[in-house]
Amino acid sequence: MKRRKGTNESLMIKAGGELDDRFKLAGPTRVLMNKVFPDHWSFLLGEIALFSFILLLLTGTFLGLFFEPSMTHVTYDGAYVPLQGIEMSKAYESSLDISFEIRGGLVMRQMHHWAALLFMAAILVHMLRIFFTGAFRAPRETNWMIGIVLFWLGFFEGFFGYSLPDDGLSGTGLRIMEGMTESVPFIGPWASAALFGGQFPGTSVISMLYIFHVFLIPLIMLGLIVVHVGLVFAQKHTQWPGPGRTEHNVVGFRMFPNYIMKQVGFMLFIWGVTAAMAGLFQINPIWLFGPYDVSVVSSGSQPDFYVMFLDGLIRLFPAWEFRIPPYFSLPPVFWPGVVGMGLSIVLPLLYPALERRFTKDRAHHNLLQRPRDAPHRTGLGVMVVAFWLIGVLSGGNDVFAEKFDISLNAMTWFGRIGIVVIPMALYYITYRICLGLQQHDREVLAHGLETGILMRDPEGRFYEVHQPLAEPDEHGHTELEYNGWVVPKKMNRVGALAPTDKGFFKSIEEPTENGGEHRDEIEAGKHQ
Amino acid sequence: MAASAKRRRGWRKRLGALARFTGALVIVGGLYSVFSPSLYAQEAEDNAIDSEVVKGEELYSTSCITCHGDNGEGVEGRGPSLIGIGSAAVEFQVNTGRMPMAAQGAQAPAGEAVFTEEEAEWLGAYIDYLGGGAAVPDDLEILVEDASVGEGGELYRVNCSSCHGYAGGGGALSSGAHAPELSGVTDDELYQAMLTGPQNMPVFADNELTPEQKADIIAYVQYLVNDDKDPGGVFSLGRYGPSTEGLAIFLVGMSTLLLATLWIAGKS
Amino acid sequence: MSAHNDDSQPEKVDLDDPKLSRFDVYREGLRKDGIEIIHYEPRFAKPGTAAEKRMERIVSGLFLLSGLFATAFVAAYIFWPWEYEGAASWREPQTWYTPVIGITLGLSLLLFAVGVLTWAKKLLPIEELVQDRHDGGSAKEDRKFAESTVDTTVDDMGIRRRPFLVKAALLGAAPLGLAAVAPLGALIKDPADMLTVTGWNAEKYNEGNPVRLMMKDGALVRPDMVSAGGQITVYPAIEHGASNEFPTAPSLLIHLREQDAELLRENLYPMYQDVDALWGNYVAYSKICTHVGCPASLYEQQSQRLLCPCHQSQFNVVDNAAPIFGPATRHLPMLPLSVDEDGHFFAKSDFLVPPGPGYWNRPSLPEEDEQ
Repeated sequence: MKRRKGTNESLMIKAGGELDDRFKLAGPTRVLMNKVFPDHWSFLLGEIALFSFILLLLTGTFLGLFFEPSMTHVTYDGAYVPLQGIEMSKAYESSLDISFEIRGGLVMRQMHHWAALLFMAAILVHMLRIFFTGAFRAPRETNWMIGIVLFWLGFFEGFFGYSLPDDGLSGTGLRIMEGMTESVPFIGPWASAALFGGQFPGTSVISMLYIFHVFLIPLIMLGLIVVHVGLVFAQKHTQWPGPGRTEHNVVGFRMFPNYIMKQVGFMLFIWGVTAAMAGLFQINPIWLFGPYDVSVVSSGSQPDFYVMFLDGLIRLFPAWEFRIPPYFSLPPVFWPGVVGMGLSIVLPLLYPALERRFTKDRAHHNLLQRPRDAPHRTGLGVMVVAFWLIGVLSGGNDVFAEKFDISLNAMTWFGRIGIVVIPMALYYITYRICLGLQQHDREVLAHGLETGILMRDPEGRFYEVHQPLAEPDEHGHTELEYNGWVVPKKMNRVGALAPTDKGFFKSIEEPTENGGEHRDEIEAGKHQ
Repeated sequence: MAASAKRRRGWRKRLGALARFTGALVIVGGLYSVFSPSLYAQEAEDNAIDSEVVKGEELYSTSCITCHGDNGEGVEGRGPSLIGIGSAAVEFQVNTGRMPMAAQGAQAPAGEAVFTEEEAEWLGAYIDYLGGGAAVPDDLEILVEDASVGEGGELYRVNCSSCHGYAGGGGALSSGAHAPELSGVTDDELYQAMLTGPQNMPVFADNELTPEQKADIIAYVQYLVNDDKDPGGVFSLGRYGPSTEGLAIFLVGMSTLLLATLWIAGKS
Repeated sequence: MSAHNDDSQPEKVDLDDPKLSRFDVYREGLRKDGIEIIHYEPRFAKPGTAAEKRMERIVSGLFLLSGLFATAFVAAYIFWPWEYEGAASWREPQTWYTPVIGITLGLSLLLFAVGVLTWAKKLLPIEELVQDRHDGGSAKEDRKFAESTVDTTVDDMGIRRRPFLVKAALLGAAPLGLAAVAPLGALIKDPADMLTVTGWNAEKYNEGNPVRLMMKDGALVRPDMVSAGGQITVYPAIEHGASNEFPTAPSLLIHLREQDAELLRENLYPMYQDVDALWGNYVAYSKICTHVGCPASLYEQQSQRLLCPCHQSQFNVVDNAAPIFGPATRHLPMLPLSVDEDGHFFAKSDFLVPPGPGYWNRPSLPEEDEQ
């Protein structure tokens, strides 16, 4: 047994030697395997997007084997009874065939769609994390911009994919896109004619969207994702402040084996969740929608959630059309649809530069900020999230109106007023909350913890005993400097920054001798 | 399954044959009564109808008269005139619990029926007596039996889905009104609704959609809401489309994965 | 803890020293990348304890279970009856095909994932390392080298000395760039009359004969086919008239009740009065919403509104289908109607204003501006 192990090892060394002779790998291998990564749950959000992208490539390839991007008319005679004998396009027929005639096709379609939703949802959540912790600041502005571009590429990639089956719902979506295109001054009708090969819907748009959906956009996205991840690697990941952590180091664990195993495990976990969702929840039942017919629509027609924000804005925008009679007008959809989308692309791209301009902070930042320490940014972020959420809600306001028995017109008015008032109010409230939290942190650092012990002084006044966090210095001051990390707020949190109760599902009693000295330091407030 | 469906179809065929036979008998009997009028039989029938009308009037004057007025003439601002709407409309409104209305609102909501089906028939007879209108054909069951689900689907998408949705889940209309969902609605009620256009629903009388086309639509709707098992999963997410799918990806997908990140990065 | 400070140079280690353990060499490798170990200890103080064995068993169990589910997935994929058979009962296995393969695949992936993650969390050594971060550009020396390299290259090419050459290159490259995108011009099509002319245009699509109204199935429409309070969707009775080839043609023919028709006649725009657009109590509106083009087809026969389900624009049927709520700004164009000697409806002309969504050079109407 021992001997075999030995031969295995020497075999590996020999193989490594052969490889190194040819490719000179020893140095890079060491650098790669030893690279230190910081560990925090919020650093894993981008991975959800990355791994669902890989899953999208895999499932998309399967679907591509069977999908036919053609608008040629055929008569359906497949397995789905209610559509037998109905005229439809080849694209819709082949999508139905994937769902009903191809073994496992439906589960693949559903995995593809769920992974697409997950991809976009993960980008959003990841983007919020980056925004609220200030991780986009120098030197990482480029990567923030690549991320924004990736979001919008994903947006169009998803919308085009949603349009490909040429069912009733996707045709309705294309119709709205066509209306938006037409609204652009001067070039609108020409742009629309170029897109649809003449009059909407024409006979060519599906094959055009197909080449975008399966080749052009994924290729650009793949390239950008490689650059995005490569930059994280090259610039080294940001980290939270804390004991021993500075702007000039990274504290964490090695890429191999710890980080890589967690990555592989998480990737499989994400794929598992997607596959289980594809088995549990039906998504986009195209057979219910019927083929696209310009005269047919369904109540409750919505785009996928990441487009819903834009659809909500279009629903809420008042009936304002600017006219210079007799021959010039700006249709109402132009503002929320074209200008709104343009601003949602450009403003996030510019945000890091704008913030630099206002804060005049040109330094490099490798330590993250707690949201409370950047109250204006946090307020702005909450404002944008509220704006976005009301937009999304309004994108589905007819479903809300119907299911919760609210007047549709009332929902629209709520959205119109709410989307202006609520974000502004939330900006102010968030700003105040941030300041309050900051103040409390500093109070604790200056005066110590509230112990809950009430004392009465000889004059009869009551006061609460405070436990200072540091030994008094020669002047008797116990004030500590705030260093951007969690300040203990309760007596039983002293001595540990994380909860003392460890373990995820049940608590694990852990001997303290390992981190003992460490902890003393924190208790004494001497870290940093 | 296929076998049991076949068996059921066989049953239906036999039932259909029986119904057709009965229908033929009734027609023959009717012809007979036309050609050899029996005063006695005619009177008896008249009496039967009269007594239904009388009973219906009684019910009407206790439960409907406040809003719909004397002799169904309607009351301004409270309830429309009922003259000429026919028994199908009355039976639809009463059997689905929409009438009598509990309170004035944007739209009469469906609910627990207050009257029995027999009482609804009496009310229908009374309103019919005030001025005739449309009625459900007696052979609806046979029509639905022979209907084409595919053609029904096409008609449904052109005429119905804009309000009731692709999947029959209903939808919102302007100012608090809504088109109801279609699951749990009987064939008769679907037919009555199309025929009479209750509330905001447009009328689809026999000249717009022939009884056969209505039967096609009924067959499609029943297939859609009862027989069309969602092949794509254990849960259909209410077939509401992207809005519930978007909720699901956050509430199920993202939250599971967020818990996973907490576990993966948690110290242990 | 402070071993990683930049100024403290660890003493040089002789790698050939036989006393050096593998770990010493390893740590030396780490130092080459600016990495110091803060904390490093095996997960289990004593190897081979019961606790470690237990954890190994759990992880192996997860892997094996994952394999079991993966096998179940493959077996179900191959052997489970999968052909869709329409309306089947819940007891039929084929209705469970998608859930079964989705869930088995999902479980096998999840179990393997939990196995790998547990391995990483519970069996790998407890470690904390710190690596130097060299932020903020290259060393001064490197920059100087790079600058001189670029400068030399630029001078070799003589870009500064030969301004005309550069200008000529740019002048030549600009059309070349144009040539690269020019083939995209194949996509450009003149929208011509696609936004203004619909299938109701007699000259273009019906050899000058008035276009009759038909239903989806091709049946010509007679007045008695729509009862009061009813509506049907109508298409031009020409070849492919009900197909997507005529996306702006679908219209809604409504038979108004007497009092509603009276109201509409009172409100009728002059241009529709001039052509006598109504026929009796019948009116036909374009079904294509003037906002972004969904079919505005939710006809509420009580409140006399047409609602578009995409963005909730509402149009008043008894007032020229003028918008009364939502984002739409223009009325739904009316199709001038009449009935021929055979008793069939026909369109007296195409729509008087372009139907469908607005665009920049769509003519404005004085009637609409008045509101």
